[in-house]
Amino acid sequence: MIKRALPLLAFIALFSLYALSIGAAEISHVWSFILNPFHDVNSASHQIIWEIRAPRIGAAIVIGASLGIAGVLAQGSTNNPLADPAILGTSAGAALGVVTGVLLNIVTIGSIGAVLLAAIGALLATLLTFSLARSALQLITIGIGVSAILTALVGLALSMITRPDARSVSFWSFGSLALVTPKTLAVLLPVMCIGALSAWKIAPTIDLLSLGDESVRHMGFDPQKIRLRAFILLATLIAATVSSVGSIAFLALAAPHIARYLVGPQNRKLVFYSAAIGALILLLADTASRALVPPNELPIGLLTSLLGAPILILTLKKGGDIWR
Amino acid sequence: MAMISIRNVTIVRGNRTVISNFSAEIEPGTITAIVGPNGCGKSSLIAAIAGDIPIAHGEIYLADKNLAEISLEEQAELRSVVMQNRNYWLSYSAADVLAMGQSQSSLARIPSVLQALDMADYINQSVTTLSGGEAQRVEIARALIRDSEIYLLDEPLASQDSRSKLRIIECLKRLKAEGRTILLIAHIDKGSLGWCDQVIDTLA
Repeated sequence: MIKRALPLLAFIALFSLYALSIGAAEISHVWSFILNPFHDVNSASHQIIWEIRAPRIGAAIVIGASLGIAGVLAQGSTNNPLADPAILGTSAGAALGVVTGVLLNIVTIGSIGAVLLAAIGALLATLLTFSLARSALQLITIGIGVSAILTALVGLALSMITRPDARSVSFWSFGSLALVTPKTLAVLLPVMCIGALSAWKIAPTIDLLSLGDESVRHMGFDPQKIRLRAFILLATLIAATVSSVGSIAFLALAAPHIARYLVGPQNRKLVFYSAAIGALILLLADTASRALVPPNELPIGLLTSLLGAPILILTLKKGGDIWR
Repeated sequence: MAMISIRNVTIVRGNRTVISNFSAEIEPGTITAIVGPNGCGKSSLIAAIAGDIPIAHGEIYLADKNLAEISLEEQAELRSVVMQNRNYWLSYSAADVLAMGQSQSSLARIPSVLQALDMADYINQSVTTLSGGEAQRVEIARALIRDSEIYLLDEPLASQDSRSKLRIIECLKRLKAEGRTILLIAHIDKGSLGWCDQVIDTLA
């Protein structure tokens, strides 16, 4: 499994180095800073590369991976190729949690407090969808409803916030990695690692769900318990990403499909490959958002869609029998 | 002591009573077939015994335990279920599907069941590309590799060619010889059910 992933991981690593060299600021001898992290440590160039660009690149990888894993959990637990954390209400719940906190002057964006509020919002929204739905299909239809309500509430709340540190509506609708700091990364990385390990651990039970709820019960397992575990996990992953960079569209839907095309439907493989593909797409999109029209930045959510959607369509067209 | 005891059972689906005040005793180490025309409640009866749908009145006992009072785990230890019209929608291999959720001892029985049901040719094929009969045999194999006292099978012989039918019947007879209890739905005429110990007609 790991051996086949090596080219993918190597490409992510090499592209990360390239991404370090790209940015609004022109840096002379940029590669001597990148290839030797201890070169001229007190210069502004060193600071730009290792304290601004590096955390941002790290965050793109970690957030992309988290979204890829969350998508696998969403599609597997609902047995539905349309599912993603946005459809289940999870992303909107996380956004509402943070926006409420900002509105009440309790937290600032990117802080641990914001992550906690996002986690509470994401968990409550996901559990609301979960408790109202009586079947795997209803999880999708009711999730769309819950998501619509919460997204509307986020929009209303945002139009009431006047504080300067509260970011614009576009931050929440398209997401942005512009304000990532090493501190953000320190929160995101452990959440992603724990999420990835837990997802890998419960992946075989999610495979079992594909046989349908009745078959799962026949074998002595409770399908709702399996789903609940997956949902708590995906809510945690989404909380960490939404609270630090806003909602990034489409990646959690596309990455699992692309991974399934590459390695088949087994969820253990999917957790790994979807994480890698999510990381790669977000890294490419974020680098493009910084590099295309400097010093301006393009909204990252638009670029993930522009990059991810063609790949998704292509894989679905070629791999027609993956979903019947 | 009956292995499966159906006592005055009434099953209502929607607002239609499909089984009304029905009783039957199924002895251990026997093969019992349920027959009857479409819509007479055969599948509902199997589904109720499998714990999938509630019963409106009456009681069902499995190995002297009231079905309504035992947990999912206990039910799963007692019986295995073969469902009808299996629809696969992800391209797992047949081998992957067989192994899902199975215990180590069940996994060890896979090779012998594969041979008995003649599944070697397509065991590594994606289940989304199997024929109806092949997919049904994957479903039958999923139940047969499990070590249960009771096997419930909803139309295991439908969409099987005559050779596969014989193979499946041989498997069921072997289970019976080991003392297991088998209850199945058969959509064929009573005359060809000589290998069954008891035939229950849900209309009678």
